[in-house]
Amino acid sequence: MSSEFYPLRISEICNELVSSDDDQIANAKTFLFDVPESLQHLFTWRAGQHITVQLRIGDATVRRAYSISMSPLANRDVDTENPTFSITVKRVADGMVSNYLLDNMKTGDTIEIMPPFGDFCLDPQLNSRRSHYFFAAGSGITPLFAMLQSVLIAEPHSVVYLLYGNSDVNNVIFQQQLFALAEQYSQRLVIRHIFSRPSVWASDYWRKGRVDSKSTQAFINEHPPYAQDAQYYICGPDAMNASVTNGLLAIDVPRARIHQESYGTVSPLDDSVVSVAAKLTVTLHGSRHEVTVSKNQTLLAAMKAANIKPPFSCQSGICGACKAQLTQGTTHMVSHAALQDNDVAEGKVLTCQALATASYIELIYP
Amino acid sequence: MSNKAMMHVLPVEAYTSQEWFDREQLKIFSRTWRFAGFREDIADPGDSITVQAGLNNIFIIKGRDHRLRAFHNICRHRGTQLLRAAGKAQKVLTCPYHDWTYDLEGKLISVPDEDPEFPNLDKSCYGLKPAKVDIWRSMIFVHPDPDAGSIMEWFGDIEPFLGPHNVDELIEYPEARGSYEINANWKVVVENYIDVYHLSHLHSGTLNMYDHAKAEYQFVGPHFAFWEPLAADYLENIERNAAMPLVLPKDKLGAWVPMLFPGLGLGESESDWSIFHITPLGPELSRVETRTRVKDTSAWEFQKQQWRSSRFFEKSITGKYAGDKNSDDPMTSGDFTAEDIYACEQQQKSLRSPYFEVGPSAEAGEKPVREHQQIVKTYLDS
Repeated sequence: MSSEFYPLRISEICNELVSSDDDQIANAKTFLFDVPESLQHLFTWRAGQHITVQLRIGDATVRRAYSISMSPLANRDVDTENPTFSITVKRVADGMVSNYLLDNMKTGDTIEIMPPFGDFCLDPQLNSRRSHYFFAAGSGITPLFAMLQSVLIAEPHSVVYLLYGNSDVNNVIFQQQLFALAEQYSQRLVIRHIFSRPSVWASDYWRKGRVDSKSTQAFINEHPPYAQDAQYYICGPDAMNASVTNGLLAIDVPRARIHQESYGTVSPLDDSVVSVAAKLTVTLHGSRHEVTVSKNQTLLAAMKAANIKPPFSCQSGICGACKAQLTQGTTHMVSHAALQDNDVAEGKVLTCQALATASYIELIYP
Repeated sequence: MSNKAMMHVLPVEAYTSQEWFDREQLKIFSRTWRFAGFREDIADPGDSITVQAGLNNIFIIKGRDHRLRAFHNICRHRGTQLLRAAGKAQKVLTCPYHDWTYDLEGKLISVPDEDPEFPNLDKSCYGLKPAKVDIWRSMIFVHPDPDAGSIMEWFGDIEPFLGPHNVDELIEYPEARGSYEINANWKVVVENYIDVYHLSHLHSGTLNMYDHAKAEYQFVGPHFAFWEPLAADYLENIERNAAMPLVLPKDKLGAWVPMLFPGLGLGESESDWSIFHITPLGPELSRVETRTRVKDTSAWEFQKQQWRSSRFFEKSITGKYAGDKNSDDPMTSGDFTAEDIYACEQQQKSLRSPYFEVGPSAEAGEKPVREHQQIVKTYLDS
C-alpha cells in the first residue's frame, strides 16, 4: 500500500441526488477519475476498499476516506480497458469536505488521492456459490454497491440480497442503477427498500422504519439464503451496524460470516481513560525510532512531531490506514471503528486514536 | 469358479458381488454429492433430516438464520447417532445416550457432570464433524467432506445442458411420489436409464410423445446429458395433448432426461419435472425414489387438462404387447416405468449364469452405457 498522495483529474461528474426544493442543487455526486497509465498499478482496488482525498480548504489541509463506489469489474475505460474508479459523495449538513466537493469541484479539476486500501472487501470467486446479504443505510451503500456489482458480474452462481434504508425515495443513491441490475439479474438479485419518512404517496418500498435487528430478521425470514454459504456485509452508522449485527447473532449467524464497516455517524468517543506521558519505541520500514509521547497526545501525533512518517489517513479511527501492532505496554483508543474486537484483543492499535496508558510502549508497523 | 465375463468395460461381478458394492460405497457414494431431498423438505428453523451418503450418516438442520447446516450424525462422546430420520430441534442438539449437547454450529456446549467426570475437558475440541450442504435446482445435496468444492464445481458444466425449467416455481405433486425396490444392481438401473437404443423398442408403445430419432446426448464430465424433441403429432396440438398444464413456453418444448452421477436421473419435460433417485441397497438390490413437480395452478386446471389429453393418450399409448392394461404383466401395462423395472430385473437374473455373455454393443445408442461403466471404473481405480 502506498501512503503517498497523487493528483488525479476528475474525468466526469454525475448527479446522484438532487434537492427536492431545487433540482439545480445536487446532494450527492459521483466523481470519476482519470488514472494515468503510470499510476495504474497503484490504483487497482478490491470491491469494498476506499481511497483518501486530501484537500486544502482555506488554510486547513483535510483528509477524508471515501469508498470506491464501483466494482473494478464494472466500468472500464473504452480506450485503455483500465477500470475507472469513482467515489460517491453525499452532502452532510455542515460537512466541510462533502460541501466543498459537491459545490466546488468541476470536471477537469484535480484532487490529491491516496491509493485504495481497506480490509472490508469482497473478492468474487468464479466457482463459488454464496448468498451475499448486504445491509446499507444512506451513503453506506457505496462500498456495498461495488461489492454487489462484483458478485453479479463475476460470481455467476451466487445470489445477492440487499436491504437498503433511507429517509425517503428521494434519498436513494444508485436508485436507477439498482433498478437496472434488478431487471438484468432478476434470478439472482433481491432488493428491498426501507424508508424512515416515506412520503404519504410512496408505495414502492418494503416497509417503513430503519435497517435494524428487527427488519434484518424479517428480511431473512422473507428471503432465506438460496446458496447455503451465506455472508453478511453491513455498512452504515455505528448504531445501525450494531443493531444489525445483534439481529444476526440472535438468530445464530456465526460471527465469522459478518463483515462490517462503519460509515457516517461514529459512536461516541470513549474519553473516560486518563492517559500518561510515555516513551515509545517504534519499528517502521525496519528502522527503530525513539519517540516521546506527551499526556493526551496520540501516538500518531507524537510520531509526526518527531518527524517520522508513519502511514495514516482519516485520523478518526475509521479507515484503518494507521494500524500498527502493539508489542509492549498498553494504550487506550478513543475510537476504533476500523478494528474488530479480535483485532483489539490481538494488540492491533489505531495510532491516530491511541493514547499511552503505560510509561513504555513498543509498536511495529506491518 | 468366479465369473470373469465382462459387461463391456466392467466385469460381471461388478454387478453381483458384495466386494464391488463395498468399494463403490467407499469410493463413489462417500465421495460425491448426494441428493437429500427437495428444498421445502426442511422448511422451518429447527427442522432436520438425516440421509445416508455412502458410509456416512449425515443430518441437515436449518438454523434460525434459515441457513442449512450439515453434520456427521455421530456424537463425539461414544459415537451414537444423534438424530433420528426427521425431526425438530430449536437451539440445541442433545445426544439421547448421555445428554451431551451441541449448538446448531456443532459446538459442544454442555456435558453432564462435567467437573467431576471430565475435569480437564476442552469442549472446543469435540464439536460435531461438519459436512457440506447446498441447494441446487430446488434440491438439497450433501457432501461428506466439509472441504469439498462448491456444488457448482460438480454441476456447473452440466447445467447448460439441462432444461430451461424454473424449478423453484414448480410445486410438488404429492400423488406422484413413489419409492420402490428393483431387484437389480444400481448400475443396471442407470444403464437402462441412459440406454438410448432401447427407447424405441422396450417403450415402443409408451414413450410415443417424443421423437427418439432426433435425440441428442453426451456425457459432460461424469454426468449424462440427454434431450429429445416432442413427436410431431403430439406437438401439433400440444395444448390439448399434454397430460398436465405446460411448464415451458411453446418455443422451448422438449424432454431433457439427464442422469447425474451417481444415480440421480431427472425427467424435465413439457408438463412436469421429476427426479428418479437410485440408491444401492445391495449388490443386486436398489431403491428408486421418484418425486415430481408440476405447474403451480389449481386442481381444476389439472382435471381439465387430463380430460383434454385423454383422447391422445388413449389412442397413442399402449402396452408393448397387446393385452389387458390392468393385468399384472408389465409388458401389457402401457406403463413405461413397469417396462423398465421388468427389463432391469430380467437382466439381473441372467448375470449369475455361467453361460452369461454380452453381445456387441450399439455404436451410438449404447455408447452411454459403456461410458458410464468407464466412469465407475475410474472412480474405483482412484
